[in-house]
Amino acid sequence: MAGIFDFVPAIVLLPFVSFLVALAVGNRLPKGGAFAGIVATAGSFLLSVATFFTVSGGQTYNQTIYTWANGLDGAVTLTFGLLIDPLSAMMLVIVTLIATLVHVFSLGYMNDEGETGLPRYYAGLGLFTASMLGFVVADNLLMAFMFFELVGLCSYLLIGFWFREPGPPSAAKKAFLVTRFGDYFFLVGVVAVFATFGTAAFAGSESFPHLAEQALHGEHSVNTFGFEPRTWFTIVGLLVLGGVVGKSAQFPLHTWLPDAMEGPTPVSALIHAATMVAAGVYLVARMYGFYALSPTSLSIIALIGGFTALFAATMGVVKREIKQVLAYSTISQYGYMMLGLGGGGYIAATFHLMTHAFFKALLFLGAGSVIIAMHHNENMWEMGGLKDKMPVTYYTFLSGSLALAGIVPFAGFWSKDEVLYETLVHGLGGSPILLVAYAMGLLAVFFTGFYTFRMVLLTFHGEPRSQTARDPHGVHWNVKGPLVVLGILAATAGLVNMTPVAELTGLEIEFLHQWLGHGIEGLTSHHYVELLESQAGYHAAEIGPIVPGLVSLALALAGAGLAYFLYNDAEPTEHTDKLGGAKTVLYNNYYQDEYQVWLANSLVQPFSRGADKFDQGVVDGVVNGVSSVSLLSGNRVRRIQSGVVSNYAVLLTLGLTALILGFGLLGGWF
Amino acid sequence: MVPPQYYLLLSAAVFCIGLFGILTRRNALLFLMSVELMLNAANINLVAFSYVWGNVTGQTFGLFTMAIAAAEVAVGLGIILVLYRDFGDVDVTKVTTMRW
Amino acid sequence: MLIEGLIAVAFVAALVVFVSPNEYAGRLAAALSLLPIVGSLYMWSQFDATGNALLGGSIAFETDFVWLTLGGLDVHWFVGLDGISMPLVVLTTILTTLAIVSAWTPIDTRQSQFYGLMLFMEANLLGVFTALDFFVWFVFWEAVLVPMYFLVGIWGGPRRKYAAIKFFVYTNIASLAMFIGFIALVFGLGDSVSSMRLPEIAMALRGGELGGFAGLDAGALKLAAFVAMFIGFGVKVPIVPLHTWLPDAHVEAPTPASVMLAGVLLKMGTYALLRFNFTMMPDVAQALVVPIALIAVISVIYGAVLALAQQDLKRIVAYSSVSSMGYVILGLIAYTTYGVGGATFQMVAHGLISGLMFMAVGVIYNTTHTRMVGDMSGIADRMPVTSGIFVAGAFGYMGLPLMAGFAGEFFIFQGAFASTVHAAMPLFTAAAMFGIVIVAGYLLLAMQRTLFGPFRFDGEYEVTEAAFHDVAPLAVLLLLVIVLGVAPDLFFQMIQQAVNPILQTGGGL
Repeated sequence: MAGIFDFVPAIVLLPFVSFLVALAVGNRLPKGGAFAGIVATAGSFLLSVATFFTVSGGQTYNQTIYTWANGLDGAVTLTFGLLIDPLSAMMLVIVTLIATLVHVFSLGYMNDEGETGLPRYYAGLGLFTASMLGFVVADNLLMAFMFFELVGLCSYLLIGFWFREPGPPSAAKKAFLVTRFGDYFFLVGVVAVFATFGTAAFAGSESFPHLAEQALHGEHSVNTFGFEPRTWFTIVGLLVLGGVVGKSAQFPLHTWLPDAMEGPTPVSALIHAATMVAAGVYLVARMYGFYALSPTSLSIIALIGGFTALFAATMGVVKREIKQVLAYSTISQYGYMMLGLGGGGYIAATFHLMTHAFFKALLFLGAGSVIIAMHHNENMWEMGGLKDKMPVTYYTFLSGSLALAGIVPFAGFWSKDEVLYETLVHGLGGSPILLVAYAMGLLAVFFTGFYTFRMVLLTFHGEPRSQTARDPHGVHWNVKGPLVVLGILAATAGLVNMTPVAELTGLEIEFLHQWLGHGIEGLTSHHYVELLESQAGYHAAEIGPIVPGLVSLALALAGAGLAYFLYNDAEPTEHTDKLGGAKTVLYNNYYQDEYQVWLANSLVQPFSRGADKFDQGVVDGVVNGVSSVSLLSGNRVRRIQSGVVSNYAVLLTLGLTALILGFGLLGGWF
Repeated sequence: MVPPQYYLLLSAAVFCIGLFGILTRRNALLFLMSVELMLNAANINLVAFSYVWGNVTGQTFGLFTMAIAAAEVAVGLGIILVLYRDFGDVDVTKVTTMRW
Repeated sequence: MLIEGLIAVAFVAALVVFVSPNEYAGRLAAALSLLPIVGSLYMWSQFDATGNALLGGSIAFETDFVWLTLGGLDVHWFVGLDGISMPLVVLTTILTTLAIVSAWTPIDTRQSQFYGLMLFMEANLLGVFTALDFFVWFVFWEAVLVPMYFLVGIWGGPRRKYAAIKFFVYTNIASLAMFIGFIALVFGLGDSVSSMRLPEIAMALRGGELGGFAGLDAGALKLAAFVAMFIGFGVKVPIVPLHTWLPDAHVEAPTPASVMLAGVLLKMGTYALLRFNFTMMPDVAQALVVPIALIAVISVIYGAVLALAQQDLKRIVAYSSVSSMGYVILGLIAYTTYGVGGATFQMVAHGLISGLMFMAVGVIYNTTHTRMVGDMSGIADRMPVTSGIFVAGAFGYMGLPLMAGFAGEFFIFQGAFASTVHAAMPLFTAAAMFGIVIVAGYLLLAMQRTLFGPFRFDGEYEVTEAAFHDVAPLAVLLLLVIVLGVAPDLFFQMIQQAVNPILQTGGGL
């Protein structure tokens, strides 16, 4: 059947082709290859939408399309394949939509600003999109890892786009290195999955989550390296989680993300909203059937998520640059998604992944628009009063901010609320450790409301505080267009899954629940709920979603209100100065960077230098010592070579005599 | 038939004379002569054993040795001539340029 | 007779280039070196072997006749290819041509001798990878050293004499240890072998025909011979702590010689380890699994840590070769399809990628006349194409997926992790895998400091983009790396076919 699924590879390949085009002939194309990228991503978007509708008709697709390494005689065969189910279909639409909008926005941010090296930029964007799409459709863990790494490469190339300055190359290096550190654990996890199950497929009866489930039931035996099956699955799960923590910028591997703001702002939007950072959370959702088997893994995911959400939100409170605030909000929001996944809220986390993609892309693009207007000055203390000068940017940015802060009825409210609700009910239902994570997540809501509106108020309200803010640079349709699209989505995307409203009215309006409830057997949300109950011991307590929803809304409003109270002046002051020493700590990110840089500079570097000295001195010293000894002894022995023939004759004779005597003694002649 | 011991004694005597010459003499010519004596001592042995065992391999080698000795004399005398030309002397202990 | 033809063509080409005038020697050598490429590619297309050259099954392009008789042992002219040697032959021919082209710019004296030696080395390398009789193999093995000695000693850097002598003496002593070990085995086998053909010896050893020799019983003799040969081949690989000749040789060698040294000569060591130690004496190897795996892990981590401390770009790549070859040892000791097969694949992959990196460093050196990291920054501003390929090659070295290095490393990791030769193999594997983080660390740091940032160069030379013929070999290598990374089955199928007999027909496994 030549259905839409036969065109799914094209979704991935189109941006890849645009990468090749931009790289090869970008210099000769108008706009440095931008149109190739826009056409390609828009094509991918249309195909994704078509796929989406096909999937909503109940069809799914799980097919191997390429054999990468064919194992002979019973060795594992490594393949590439496509897995199109509701989750990946939804993600395809999100990624292609954001990628298209980012391409369009780049026309305004890069082309109109007279940047050089545009073919390189658009090639990077194309490859980035293609890698992420390849990751989304991956049907096994190895393929996912490979595209995961390619995403890392692209982030390196794009963050370091302005390579002639000292900052971006350093930030790019840090981003790649920190995520590589996480990917190390991921790779060990991939290898362990292959060694344990002999397959890394996500879906089907021969998939590793399914085999793991059977192993726990004792229906199938796998190689668990001498551990209890559940213990081993927990270890493997945590190893894979290492990659997630790195890419999704969770504590303690979050330090690369704020630095990554050195890249062009559209790239930040792409990285933080839909691609690289989302990849980590998406991976956990993709193999949720495996994590659901291990309550320990789930608790760790929830705790990491809750802690990161709170931890990053507090740092966002004191930042001066608009992009820095957004960076920390990204870390914090991905913390929520991890919290949702760990707390048993698969749908909630996926929901938040979707809404966050929209409103965070919106906020970054909005910030990009502000940065254009401000002639690339990012300091919020030099902005102010931009509300009247750039209304489109302001209202769309406000829409995104309301969503980020979690104010009803904007998208972020519904999803964040559901994440917290799911964690709460499962925590009360017999997994008290989740309550700790829930408390941290709930507290973070307050900080989120505060820093979001501090940012909005400082940027757009009050009086202009600098010359550029008084006379901002205008922006074109190519900036405003994407903002409007995303602004509408940020306001409305939450309506697809209004759990509290559904509870109140009894209407069947939880569309996302229905959406993720069907699909490939073993990958549905129903199956995950079963697994959570039977394997992880997660039980939902009987609480309605209304009260917890009101609590988090109240906290968000309190945070926003405090920000309004403090910063809605014409000439706001730095109230955070009152925090004193705490501000210094927060401003320096709890010295997380410092200790990691210290590890690299003061521990690893001297260690490697010491190793070098050891190598040159001791190991090579032995080698050179051997040669010195032979040279020296040769120097002594050569004195025999006196040049006098008679001496040689004497030596010869003596030698012969000695030889004969020796033979005689040994041979017993005497 | 003369017993082989006599040949061996003769050969040993000639060899020792040659050896003595090499160890005590400083004149290159005498040196060369002494080497020839030693070679011929070896030759006597070859021929003697050939005679004792009744096959001609030893004698064949004896002939070979003579041929080589002839060549050696030619080379040796050439060296001595050069020695004399370059150093004005044929005293082997004075020519010590080929040392370490 | 194809193999003989291949080797003969390379020898004749070497002779022709030797007597050609200096001005044309480079072009002529490059053109002539295309003939072995055509030959090896043709052989690859006709390749139909499904067995292991030492353990039976079909071998491709086999020639076997008695050459001479030595003390009761026949010496055969016996050559042939299986799935392990075929990729290495292709690698050798391609890399030689590219190295010759990359020499056009830097080599400006005694060109005809230089290119003649390169081709002479190619001929001997082809001999090493095809010979299946110990005597023939050993002659080629030793003969490879001679051209490399002169290449380093004549066209090298300031300390070239020291480096060349160190290289020659070190590897020659190693050959001696290996030779003694192997000959002791042959004596121990006594009358059960009638020739020096490797298959015969391998089958006899795996069949338990070994007797005692020189006061050692069979077990002790086998162990002693294994250790002697492991050390002997280990110097070539090189394994820590026998690696110190390598950085000196690389730093002093001219770029094309470095390419050949890292790309092919190091593979002789692992190839021989696979053929001799791990194929002939799997029982000893598996008894020594802990020390061997430890050596592998230490080579990986120690080499990478040393690379972190270096300031000379060539030294960085040299030490990272030590690190990468450690993976190969880890794969070999795993005794799984993916472990040993991956190790063989990694030989080819690392040959291409290290060749690429050395050439890229060489291209920058041709322009700047310095390789020190601190002497320059922002080179990408002036040499965008070279820098782009440098970045791509560096990511290949870091094991970026869909490039050959990832395939090799992943196969090894997977094979080693699943290996059952020792319960601690997963731990050893995980420890060795940490190398992928350190390699990213030093390459990214080096790139940040040399290629990126504001342009700064302390030397007096004009920094401009390299000539087409300097960049073209880099591009070709990069393309090959990507092709092998996307479709590793091009080689991995035949490698598996050749490797599986080692795992299956283990004498006493």
